[in-house]
Amino acid sequence: MTDRRPVIAVEDMHVWFDLADGAELHAVQGVTFELRPGERMGLVGESGCGKTTTILAMMGLLPSSASVSGRVILDGEDIMERGESSVAPHRWCDISMVFQGAMNAFNPVKRIGDQIVEPMEMHGTASGSSARAQVRDLLELVGISGDRASRYPHEFSGGMRQRAAIALALACQPKVLLADEPTTALDVMVQAQILDLLVRLTRDLGLSMILVTHDLPVVAQVCDRAAVMYAGEIVEMGQMSDIYHEPRHPYTRMLFAATPDLLGDDEVQSIAGVPPRLDRDLIGCPFAPRCDSTFAPCTVDHPRSLQVETGHTAMCHLNDRLVVGAAGA
Amino acid sequence: MSRVSADVATEATAAARGDAPLTPRRRNFISATFRSQPQAMVGLVIVVIFILIAIFAPLLAPYSIHEKTGAIYAPPSSAHWLGTDDGGVDMLSLLIYGSRVSLEVGLAAALVAMIIGGAVGVLSGFFGGSVDIILMRITDIFLVIPDIPLIIVMAAVFGRNLRNIIIIIGIIYWTSTARLIRAQVKSVRERVYVKRARSLGAGNNRLVFKHVLPQVSPLLIANTVLMIALAIFAETYIAFLGLGDPTTISWGRLIENAFKGNAVLNSAWWAIVPPGVCVTLVILACTMMGQSMEDALNPRLRVGHLAVRRFRVRPLHGKLETE
Amino acid sequence: MGRTDYIVKRSLFALLTVLVAVTINFLLFRALPGTAVSGLKCRACTVQFKKALAHDLGLDQSKWQQYKLYMENLVHGNLGVSAISHKPVRGELWEPLKNTVAMITLGTVFSIVFGVLTGVMAAWRRGTVVDRGSLWLSLAFYSMPTQWLGLMIVYFVADRVGLPHGGIQSPDLGILSQPSTYEYWKDRLDHMILPAMTLGLVLYGEYTLIVRSAMLETLGEDYVLTARAKGMSNWAIVWKHGFRNALLPIVTLIALSLGFIVGGAIVVEYVFNYPGIGLAIVDAIDKRDYPFLQGAFLLLTFSVILFNFIADLVYFKLDPRVTT
Repeated sequence: MTDRRPVIAVEDMHVWFDLADGAELHAVQGVTFELRPGERMGLVGESGCGKTTTILAMMGLLPSSASVSGRVILDGEDIMERGESSVAPHRWCDISMVFQGAMNAFNPVKRIGDQIVEPMEMHGTASGSSARAQVRDLLELVGISGDRASRYPHEFSGGMRQRAAIALALACQPKVLLADEPTTALDVMVQAQILDLLVRLTRDLGLSMILVTHDLPVVAQVCDRAAVMYAGEIVEMGQMSDIYHEPRHPYTRMLFAATPDLLGDDEVQSIAGVPPRLDRDLIGCPFAPRCDSTFAPCTVDHPRSLQVETGHTAMCHLNDRLVVGAAGA
Repeated sequence: MSRVSADVATEATAAARGDAPLTPRRRNFISATFRSQPQAMVGLVIVVIFILIAIFAPLLAPYSIHEKTGAIYAPPSSAHWLGTDDGGVDMLSLLIYGSRVSLEVGLAAALVAMIIGGAVGVLSGFFGGSVDIILMRITDIFLVIPDIPLIIVMAAVFGRNLRNIIIIIGIIYWTSTARLIRAQVKSVRERVYVKRARSLGAGNNRLVFKHVLPQVSPLLIANTVLMIALAIFAETYIAFLGLGDPTTISWGRLIENAFKGNAVLNSAWWAIVPPGVCVTLVILACTMMGQSMEDALNPRLRVGHLAVRRFRVRPLHGKLETE
Repeated sequence: MGRTDYIVKRSLFALLTVLVAVTINFLLFRALPGTAVSGLKCRACTVQFKKALAHDLGLDQSKWQQYKLYMENLVHGNLGVSAISHKPVRGELWEPLKNTVAMITLGTVFSIVFGVLTGVMAAWRRGTVVDRGSLWLSLAFYSMPTQWLGLMIVYFVADRVGLPHGGIQSPDLGILSQPSTYEYWKDRLDHMILPAMTLGLVLYGEYTLIVRSAMLETLGEDYVLTARAKGMSNWAIVWKHGFRNALLPIVTLIALSLGFIVGGAIVVEYVFNYPGIGLAIVDAIDKRDYPFLQGAFLLLTFSVILFNFIADLVYFKLDPRVTT
């Protein structure tokens, strides 16, 4: 029986960025979710909706122009409590990341193997020849021949570098893997292989994964759950099948509708209009200007996140008629 | 100062003024650059002041520079604000008149470098192929041959007059301009509207003058400003070695005079300090201006992944809604 | 395969440049008014003597013949004979060369070490007072004419720190007794410090800017974010990833500034009356000793080209991606 306790939980996370003229950009607004062991959760939305910022914040990788509030609870401990000093010890051994454009995640003048050994030796999980043996194993695990560890990044193809980046992320056997657009800029065949790999890893290693992407078909294929983000907030979250078949937020519905073929590799088609500015307070629902189902309260009240069924929440006035529940699953 | 570092300190002035990283700007808004970057403005003001001094020299200089009007190496006094040199000539007047030659050489030589470098850059970038390769090899060779011996030899060979000095400096320093312009022209050439114009049958000349040059000229101007700094530096160097024009007075020659006239032994700091300060100021001003301009035209918005001050943590924001 | 191509290409380029430089050297000096012989002044220099000497030196032959002679001589290391001292140029260059190399090394090491430290620090603490302060300082030194800085140092600093104004040896050394080896070398070092420092300060300004720029470029790269994500400390990231990668542009740019070092050395030696190649060149210009100048310039040009070539090799070693 899988452990029902979440391996990591984010509670009411906010992120602000300083702007040049003294104002602030409220990039992430009250994001809350949990992740269970072995679970694959998708974090979906248009570019600029705050999904990358959220996962960067979870690892404390935001720049000095950012301020963060909220809790990130890992193993019962709030690792965000004191900022950098409480987050840093958990990097890579508990929670690691595969970055967007992993092609460039590697230092071009060092060998791939050395770069994977680096965190192992740093965190003390392995050293010397046993570390090198583990590197070979990791590379084989992601489908790269072990003796390529002595090569340089430019000698790898894009797809192989992506796999190597995954191997790197697994170097210290983390509990949580954050994958930011792991398949963008890869061709379809390679995409499928990478996604396959990610699914296998979560199953075989009991790894939990958050998959950030704007690509709906990817999420639908790979993830157990999904959270849809808009303008810095999670507007809908729940099991993949629930969200797909019964979206309870117009944005989710329009997103899925805009994708012609679930098995195709098209990007999300743009919904007309642009997301709201995040440097000023909003009145009403942030999606209202682009929504096709607005009615009276939409331009006046900000909707609350309501539980529309077990494990399924949505932030839309259309659900107000239901028994008033609350955010969180 | 080398020809190379003119390309390099791009963010130096931006950071020196303490602003946040720049945002990309439209290419032809040079004036916007000046408005937004106070350092560039300061640089411009300084240069303008010196240019005005040079233009109005006869009105500003208290004494003639061809007559002995005071004691030899007289210290600063109310009669001679900056004292006199080893010939009894008023230092302040020398400094004021000296600005003429120094600035003239600086501007003219920079112009020569701009024309040569610009032409090479445009031809190289626009035509590509073997023209490009040949021109770039020539540029490389020019870059590697040390400039100072070349200057010395050419000054010795072709004679020590102002016109030659200007040409020599221009010939030595056109290379970095050529490189920069070439890169710019290459990217402009690929732009859609240029391709469209070409497909409509526009001849090469038309393409170059109507489309390429306007896009390239802001960068060319920025680079030329930096060249002015280099040229003034080179002039002081040439003058110091005794290869300058003996009939003119420039700041470079003033420094040379101070040296030859044993200003150090005579404790005549007023003969040493002012000309160097002037040169340093003008070079600093041009460098700031030029870097700011280049900065604005080729923005490198850099997110530093390392910062001393990390992300900040705030107390809990909203209230959690519980069941 | 592609890697050896690079070395071959750079070698060929270096050789080509040497050839071009050598030829330019030849042409320029042949273009000088008068020949190496007509300017000679000495008691025995009658018209016949000059004619005979000219014949010996091959100056009565065609330009093309002279060029061949010149190249032949070069290959044998013969740089001609000084018009003033009548001794072979090659011998005359040796002693000053040693002095110059020592002084330049001191100054360059100083400037590289401090330039790197300051540049790295400025990039790391970008936007803070440390950064801005060091930038202003660097820009200021960078903008100063080298000879003027030298004069200022002689005037304001030399006496205060008890260092000599110039030369290479104190005139009172060895008057009363034979100086010990230590005393002798210490004296030489004392004479080297200020000129080296002058050169070093101007270079330092330039290098700080170069290093800072290269580091900023590097610190903004994705792999730095990865390193931070891995949990590396700032310090480790700066040196192992930042600096190691920034070395590439730094090496290139330092190599390209070697031309400046040559020029800067000339002027610094002049100001400090330091008997190195630079001072010898200035003297030769003054006395119109064209053969000496020609030889000296050849030497300088050749060293700069050599160092650029070495820089190419170092770059090659540092960057595994280089193939052309």
